[in-house]
This record gives sequence, C-alpha cells and structure tokens, in this order.
Amino acid sequence: MKIIHMNKLGAVMEMKFRALFSKNFISMPIFALGFALVMKWVYGSIMSKEGISDELRVFVMSYSAIMNVTMSGIYSVSALMAEEKEKHTLRVLMTSSVNGLEFCLGSMIPVILVMISVNIMLVPLVGVSMSAAGWGAYIGVTVLSCVTSAMIGMIFGIFAKNQMSAGTITMPALLILMMIPMFSAFNQTLEKVSEVLFTGVLMQTISNVAGGTGQLVSIKSILVMIVEIVLAVGCFLMFYRKNGYDHD
Amino acid sequence: MNNEYIRINHISKKFGSEIVLKDLEAVLQKGEILGFLGPSGAGKTTTIKILTGQLKPTSGDAYILGIHVKNIDETIYEQIGIVTDQSGIYERLSVYDNLKYFAKILKVDQARIDELLQRVGLFDYKKKPAGKLSKGQTQRLILARAILHKPRVLFLDEPTSGLDPSTAVSIHRLLMELKNEGMAIFLTTHNMEEATKLCDHVALLNDGQIMEYGTPKELCLRYNKEKKYKVLLENGQEYVLDQSPENTQQIADWINENQVASIHSCEPTLERVFLTVTGRQLQ
Repeated sequence: MKIIHMNKLGAVMEMKFRALFSKNFISMPIFALGFALVMKWVYGSIMSKEGISDELRVFVMSYSAIMNVTMSGIYSVSALMAEEKEKHTLRVLMTSSVNGLEFCLGSMIPVILVMISVNIMLVPLVGVSMSAAGWGAYIGVTVLSCVTSAMIGMIFGIFAKNQMSAGTITMPALLILMMIPMFSAFNQTLEKVSEVLFTGVLMQTISNVAGGTGQLVSIKSILVMIVEIVLAVGCFLMFYRKNGYDHD
Repeated sequence: MNNEYIRINHISKKFGSEIVLKDLEAVLQKGEILGFLGPSGAGKTTTIKILTGQLKPTSGDAYILGIHVKNIDETIYEQIGIVTDQSGIYERLSVYDNLKYFAKILKVDQARIDELLQRVGLFDYKKKPAGKLSKGQTQRLILARAILHKPRVLFLDEPTSGLDPSTAVSIHRLLMELKNEGMAIFLTTHNMEEATKLCDHVALLNDGQIMEYGTPKELCLRYNKEKKYKVLLENGQEYVLDQSPENTQQIADWINENQVASIHSCEPTLERVFLTVTGRQLQ
C-alpha cells in the first residue's frame, strides 16, 4: 500500500490547479457555465411573456451539468496528464519521489473540485429551486459522477501521448456519455441505456430534485454509480499496472 | 560506512530478441565521477534507466546505495538526482517556481533555491518564465533541480550535449565542485574531452558491451603501443620520433643546442583508444 505524503500531494495539486486555470483547460468549465447562460437567455427571449418554465430550467441545467462533468472530467484530466508527457515533466515528477497514488489523486482532486463548484454554480445561475434534501442528493450524485468521470480521464491519460491525442481518444467516450442522456427523451433504447450511465443518473437526479416530488435518487441509480466507479477504478488499476503512466 | 554507491554486476538487458546491454560491470564510489563513454545507441541511457529503477534488467544484479535495483521504490529518488535529455521543465512557471515546486515535493528549505540559483548562474533570471530560457540556461535549471535536495548520487545523461563551450565549462566546474563535496556522479557522454577532464573512471561502451574500463590515464597508456614523441624546433620544423636510442640522442642534442621549442609524448586520446578498441568513431 502506497503512503500519501501531504507535501507531495499538495504540490501536485497546486500545479494541476495552475494548469487547469490556464487557457488550454479553463475553457471546459467556462463552456458549461456559458452554455447555461446562453440557453437561459435564448429560452427567456422566446418566452418573454410568461418567462422560462421550470421544465426548461431543468433541461438547461441537466445539459450544462452533463457537459461540465464529461468535458472537464474526462478531457481535462487526460489532457493534463498528456501535457506532462509531452513536456517530459511526468518522468521528472515520477523520478522526484512522487508515487503513482499521489500523482493520481493530485491530478484528479483539483478537476473534481472545479467540476463540483461549477455544478453548484449552475443551480442559482439557471434559477432552479431545490429543497435541502434535493441539494444533498444533487451534490451527492455530482460528487460520484465527477469522481467517475475523472477516473475515466485518468484511464485515457495513460494512453494519450500528447494533448492532441487526448482530444482524439476521449471524443467517443465524451459523445456516448453526453449524447445518450441528452437524447434519451426521444428514444426508448437510449432511455434504457441512459439509466445505466452515471451521466444519465445525474440527469435523472436533476429532474427529480427540481421536480421536488417522489424519490430523489433510486437504489438502482445509486448502484449504477457505485458499479461504474468500481469499474473505472478497476480498469485504471489494470492499465496502470500494465503500462504505468508513461511506459518505455 | 560503505562508500560504494553503485555496483553493477553482470547486468544484461534485452528488448525482445535485441540485446542492448551485455554483462556490464562497474563500480562508483562516493566522491567519484564514473563515465560511460560511447556513441548513440551504445546502451548508456538504458544503463541509467536500470540503475534508477525505470527499467528492470533481464539478468544480473545492480545496487544503488546498497539497494538492489529490483527492490527500489520512489523513496530512492530522495537520494538521487537525474538529468537526462528527456528532463522537462514547467515552461509556464518562472525559474524560481520550477525549483520551488520540487522543493515542496522533496521537503527542501526554500532558502536553498536562491543559493542554488546563484551557484548555477541563474539568479538574475529567477523571475523569467522557464519556457523563455536559452538551451544552456534550461540545462542549468534542470541541473539545479537535480541537485536541489543534495542527492548522494547524480545521474547525468549527456549533460553538455549541444551546449556552447562556455556553458559546458561552467557545468564542468559545477560538477567538479559537487564531486569534491562527496557526491558520486554517473555521467554518460560521447564527448571524450569531457570524460578525460572529469571522470575518475571510464567505461568504453559499444553495442551494449564494456570494451575497456579504467581511469582515463590508464586506458590511454594501455594503448600507447608505439611510444612516440612530437618535437617542434625553434626553426618551425616538426618531427614525430619513435622511442629508440638514436632518436633519444637526437632529442638530447637538440635540447643541448637549445633548438627545441616544445616536446610532447604522443599517447593516444580516449577517442583514439575507442577507435582502436571498437573500430568506430564516438561522435
């Protein structure tokens, strides 16, 4: 079992925060916030008399939250790791006594914190009202979704040689995890698939929480989240043991 | 206290069916510089990767600071420093922040950063973004980072390759200072002048095999088969003479007649030795 040294974890996190707020990566969370603002304004303009309905607010918020969780989580985490490989700093870091676990946590935590913050900001930005229990369920599912997404980002990071390849190899996963829940309302098969995706669970939870009725998160949804986190961690460990972060 | 910082015992390495290292043996003591001298592809970088735990040997044993290379983990990096051509810098950060980052990781007092920047001649550039440094300045920053935590062993893979002579000289001076402070330095290079100047022992590596091992002087004398002298007379005439009673008398006569401007023995350089041993050029 690897020991986590707080000085090393803190240093890696600080560096990842700096990188995350650089122009290459900050566009991802800003895009989600911008999308919410633009959509709210567009719908507000269309329905100028009666104002934007609660249903549309939920729609805008779920799309923005899913975009944030997938794009910031999967793309940013993998591209941040790919950037370190491209600039030859990952090898330097790993030969400066930072262990694999410290690097993994240090890479994921800043991105997860930014994703959670953006999802929280979306609530007042879009104007969705939530009960205390609703907030609890929303934040809980957001946290689990962000962890799963960041973990998937780490898996892609293992295989991405540079930032460009990170963009290319994460694209199919981004499309599947974003598009299936987004279009689940139009097709039964997509709806069924969406139920077993963490992004689908997030979307459903936002709908339940904003509706304020019935069960906020089902047992099935919780199981889906747990299974997907376990699967993501398992896959990551398998690929990490086989390849390391930057194998020869 | 054991002063043997590195011991390599019959190390071999294969990548698939390709043999890249064959039965290497070498020792590096505290306060010494050991040079692995050879052309590109000779196995120098692979040796460093094995000794620093980044690659596993196919067979044989190697020990660094008493620990078998197969058993080393990341804690070894608190005692060693590594400079390779693959050592990157954080280009967005300033020179100072690059070192501060690693100072945090390696629990080094930040006061050492300024001291080190003075030592490598980068103090005036401490606020400059690392991505805007020249190649020589970048190499000095990489070296400063590698010695930030005062490692016991420093690995240098072609540290002056592609640098201008004055930067190379300043790096050589720093390496000699570090050696005198007790640091053991494992240096790979294809620059024979650098090896002759810096190394206590050198291993001539060719196709993954050590062809010769010893001090630079020993190797040069070992291959000094045809003992010759180069004599330059005051009138500008130059003679290369074999060692023989007649020639010795001739040289003595010239000296007595005050005609000799300079006289040199003609033992081979390390490059000449390498060429003799392997039949190939170093560069």
